[in-house]
Amino acid sequence: MFEYFKEYLDFRVLLITLALVAIGLFSVYSATFDARAGEIFERQLLWSGVGFLALLGAAFVPLRTIQRLSLPLYATTLVVLLVVLVLGRTIAGSRSWFGVGGMGIQPSEFAKVVTVLAVASFLGRTTTTLSSRKDLALTVGLILLPTILILAQPDLGTALVFLAITLPLLYWAGVDIFFLAVVVSPIIVAVGALFGTTLFVVGVAVSLVLLLVTRKNLFAAAVAFGGTIIVGLSVQFVFDRMPAYQQKRILAFINPEADPLGAGYNVLQSKVAIGSGGFFGKGFLKGTQTQLNFIPEQWTDFIFCVPGEEFGFLGASLVLVLFGLLLWRGIHIAAVSKNSFSSIAAIGIVSILSFHVFVNIGMSMGLLPVVGIPLPYLSYGGSALVANMIMAGLLMNFYANRKEH
Amino acid sequence: MSSSLHPDDIGNARRRRVLKVTLLVMLAILSVRLYQLQLLYHTELGKKSEENIVRSIVKEPIRGYIVDRNGALVADVGPSFSVTVTPAEFDMRNLPLLASLLGVDQGALADRIAKGRAYSRFAATRVERDIDFQTLSALEENLYRLPGINFAFESKRIYPSKARASHLLGYCREITDAQLAIADDYYHQGDMIGSAGLEAKYEQKLRGDKGYELLSVNARGQIIGPFEEGKNDRDPKEGLDLLLSVDIGLQAFAESLMTNYRGALVALDPSDGGILALVSKPDYDPSIFSGLMEPQDWVTLNADTTHPLFNRATMTRYPPGSTFKMVLAAAALQNGVIDTNFRFTCRGAYTLGNRPYKDMHVHGSVNIIEAIQRSCNVFFYQLMLKVDLEPWYEVGKKFHFGDRTGIDLSEENEGLLPNTAYFDRVFGKGRWTRGYLLSLAIGQGEIGVSPLQMARYAAALGTKGMVVQPYLVRATRNRRDNTLTVTEPVHETLDLRPEVLDIIREGMRRVVNEQGGTGRASKVPNVVVAGKTGTAENPHGEDHAWYIGFAPFDDPKIAIAVMLENEGQGGAKAAPIAGLVMERYLHGEIIRYKYRPAPKPAPKDTASTITQVTAE
Repeated sequence: MFEYFKEYLDFRVLLITLALVAIGLFSVYSATFDARAGEIFERQLLWSGVGFLALLGAAFVPLRTIQRLSLPLYATTLVVLLVVLVLGRTIAGSRSWFGVGGMGIQPSEFAKVVTVLAVASFLGRTTTTLSSRKDLALTVGLILLPTILILAQPDLGTALVFLAITLPLLYWAGVDIFFLAVVVSPIIVAVGALFGTTLFVVGVAVSLVLLLVTRKNLFAAAVAFGGTIIVGLSVQFVFDRMPAYQQKRILAFINPEADPLGAGYNVLQSKVAIGSGGFFGKGFLKGTQTQLNFIPEQWTDFIFCVPGEEFGFLGASLVLVLFGLLLWRGIHIAAVSKNSFSSIAAIGIVSILSFHVFVNIGMSMGLLPVVGIPLPYLSYGGSALVANMIMAGLLMNFYANRKEH
Repeated sequence: MSSSLHPDDIGNARRRRVLKVTLLVMLAILSVRLYQLQLLYHTELGKKSEENIVRSIVKEPIRGYIVDRNGALVADVGPSFSVTVTPAEFDMRNLPLLASLLGVDQGALADRIAKGRAYSRFAATRVERDIDFQTLSALEENLYRLPGINFAFESKRIYPSKARASHLLGYCREITDAQLAIADDYYHQGDMIGSAGLEAKYEQKLRGDKGYELLSVNARGQIIGPFEEGKNDRDPKEGLDLLLSVDIGLQAFAESLMTNYRGALVALDPSDGGILALVSKPDYDPSIFSGLMEPQDWVTLNADTTHPLFNRATMTRYPPGSTFKMVLAAAALQNGVIDTNFRFTCRGAYTLGNRPYKDMHVHGSVNIIEAIQRSCNVFFYQLMLKVDLEPWYEVGKKFHFGDRTGIDLSEENEGLLPNTAYFDRVFGKGRWTRGYLLSLAIGQGEIGVSPLQMARYAAALGTKGMVVQPYLVRATRNRRDNTLTVTEPVHETLDLRPEVLDIIREGMRRVVNEQGGTGRASKVPNVVVAGKTGTAENPHGEDHAWYIGFAPFDDPKIAIAVMLENEGQGGAKAAPIAGLVMERYLHGEIIRYKYRPAPKPAPKDTASTITQVTAE
């Protein structure tokens, strides 16, 4: 009996996901443990229940159905993203919400996984070949369409997720990696340039390594590297010559949450919260930074401070280890899947989650610029939680059907 | 490369490895950073998190009292309310309302709040001090719509005595940006700091120690209760009291005598240097500095051309005139240049080269005692030529002319006592004549003294050789444990033979008590006074009137120096004031009029009082 379950039910993904959701619930409870206590926590608790049902659904719907529904779902999502631009509610400057009763739904959270499924479905077709320019363009187009719609909200953080998953998806699907490097390098350098000289230099270095590692011949690599640098420099050149107010607009667009209260206030308080936690932490509900609301809206993007402050290095490391195990498991599932669709989709899911984890935690610890994306399973937010639990369910589904061609 | 996608192409071993390594690298970066923040930077960030949640409310200490030699309060402390603004809680839209309630300029108020914000958004900053009762009530009525406004209970100086004593007490002022830049951590913007007189000199002792109350606050700066049950709070410690050597009654009396003059009066106890009265006129009312000072008052005081803030008793360099003749007399007698048998004949002037040096009178044949008694210039002109500059300078130095007295006030000038080196430096070697020496003989020319230095000089002559260091504070008192810390008086013994001083003292006795003496107006009933008058020429108009003296002659209890700017003859103007002050001190009251016959038959009880006094 248990052997049967073990064969078809991935306990690891299930247990790790539930553990992360539980840590998230504790964290949200602590972060909102004051006058507003209850309301936010109860909503999150409710969403966890919904998410768990969604996880089970995603885990047990037949794989073929998912594959078949991918493109229709994708088309629907595009329509919804268009509609939300017109009819959506604006929260924190982005028109990205639908009001459903007292709760909000954020279609862009679901768009991520739907897009991954669509790309996987397209690439999984036996007629698709990535060496065909048309197919490659179609694949990139599949990703770019929702990205543009989300950029229009505008929600740069989420849009960046789409760009970030393109690379591992195509790489996994077997695209010519030098081509990938040539496409990606200018983007890395251009984005880096907008964040300042240091990140520009880092971007150049990363591009150089990418191009050298993937090169077929040195000449092509050199030409590509030259082009990359020209792109990066011209971004800086153009940016430097813009009027100050336009620069500010662009910076605010790239980095909408930067400095709402002056010089890096959020990041500073977040670092103080995590650092003051020390090895053992200050204890549940005893973190002064958390309890006295030093980090605005901590229960959303800065939730990592809560385990960091209240459970210290032990608690924060546990979160990292759990994410590490989940993502490792995801790569493993992708590797053992005999089915192209599920293999590529699994990598897509791993990419989405990895980007969120790395950028969010890096931001909380002052390593990366403040980009407003939530920490999967921990941050408050119903749509993200349900979408992320669906992803976990999908991983379980792929595992169960790993031997199906 | 034109093969279609096939499960075997997807995610081959190499790609799997690359993705896993990428994942591990990302996790490693995050882990290292976590380790760095939570283990390496823990102490520093932990401290920051503590600072985040603690606000300290300063509790101002009560400044020390200042008490006179008889225990009378000179400078008291009274309650005062200040208005504070906590920038983080204050809504700048309320600025016009607050400004109108306080009756102050909006711009100045905004400026103060901005300065406070620059120091800390969460610390209460003082925007107005010593508000009156109406303002306090008006503010309290509006407090509900003025978040971030609070009151601080503080103290301010009250002066209960009749004396102003402005130049000895000094004053406190709000600390300036320049003072703040060099002051220790103790001070913050808006604090009061002793800025002149004893308030400045004894600032560290008078101020006490601030206390504080630690409060826990949340991220919005709202107070949520005492921090750690208040176990780290500290009560303010009141400052030390200053016990003065000054007799405040005598001070008030001396001030009243000096009211219409510009000048100074210093009276001290010759036995230890304790200052009994120190008056500089014109003066100011020190209470305008306590509590809220109108900016206009400060401007007016500074713009006043009579310089009321300037301490004429200690900071001036007046020529001493004839009061300085005893220095030359001492130099001559000490070095055996003359004795009491030596006589010069005064014909009313002395000619050196082609230039006549005048005298007031024709004194005829005089010896040293008579020359002092009658202040004969011609005698001293000739004496100076016999003594010469350096021996004169050496005796002057024994009295510490040209040196600071070391009184416990920062405002002091050392004056000027010239020697050969000085003249060589100023005029060039061989380019100055002995004519300069003749001026010095009668205390004119290249010489500058303060009334304080002159009072000490009079005391040294009175005590036959104790050169005291004048002082104002004889002890500090700690009211918390009622302990006294007494300042030991310091003095030097004058290196002059007793008979030299006896001769000079006899001359000074005759100044007051014999026919032809110039200082007879300083006589005190029932007491033998000795003194010397001076009339100092100066480039600023009328002569300065000088008088120095001591009494009683045999065992002096008071030594005095009086200087009146541009009032002419010392004997006529300065001597009477000195006499009254000595009388008031030695008898405790003015008794001279009681010896006069009543102009009309007096009522019975008054007559009996007079009889009693006369009988004493």
